[in-house]
Amino acid sequence: MVRAATKEKTDTKTSPKTSLATPWNVIVHDDPVTLQKYVTKAFIKVFGYGESKAHRLMMEVHKKGRSIVWTGAREQAEMYAQKLQAHHLLTSLEKVEA
Amino acid sequence: MWAARVAEGFVFGDLTPAAVETLKGVPMLIESSDSRVRDRLLPETCSKEKDEEHWREHAVPELERLFLSRAQLVRRDLDALRKLPESPNSVLLVPDEHVNAWVAALNAARLALFALSDMAAEHLDVEGFGKATPKQREAILRLDMMAEMQSVMLGNHELDDEDSSFEDFAME
Repeated sequence: MVRAATKEKTDTKTSPKTSLATPWNVIVHDDPVTLQKYVTKAFIKVFGYGESKAHRLMMEVHKKGRSIVWTGAREQAEMYAQKLQAHHLLTSLEKVEA
Repeated sequence: MWAARVAEGFVFGDLTPAAVETLKGVPMLIESSDSRVRDRLLPETCSKEKDEEHWREHAVPELERLFLSRAQLVRRDLDALRKLPESPNSVLLVPDEHVNAWVAALNAARLALFALSDMAAEHLDVEGFGKATPKQREAILRLDMMAEMQSVMLGNHELDDEDSSFEDFAME
């Protein structure tokens, strides 16, 4: 009985791990019109990032043309993308490749 | 144009008829059905067709409602523009509770105008003005004026309170 109970416990622990969904990236792309300060403030507002992280991400968007600003569960990624588009930031979503 | 911080919000004064015309264009630009504007304000978000369909069905309608509500709010504030005595110029008050909506609406209008004017990034460089067509030059001047207003409001006002939600934007 004890062995069976232990096995059952182990099974329930490992099962959710194998069913974890693939994460999604939230990507912001550069545009020549939107003010840098506006982009930084949008990152602070949407994600709650600190000023320095928000500024660093904004500069990455500006210099590299795009930046992955958040990675995680699809539903939350969609919510963030919607909030960023509400600020008119050029945003896309992509599934993280294994 | 001058700007001042007052107890109720931001005042933009000495707005010329051309500046007023630019501002009255803000809601019209946001509401434009031109595909160049729609493609920029509601861009393709997912590369896979099925995911994009899901996005269009679930996220886009709420964004459209939000943009329209901002356009209506801007239009209401513009209806309250006051003419200066013995001058063709006007004064605009942007109340504190409308600042976030105004900053976002100005951004949308700038993006829309950029798209409608068939401009490229180099047009916004220092030398770009010389290479622009007359129509694009006019657009650059309007873009600059709207950016100036955004800068004034961004410099003195947070985008929103920490604990407010996406829905709060729609209520502005």
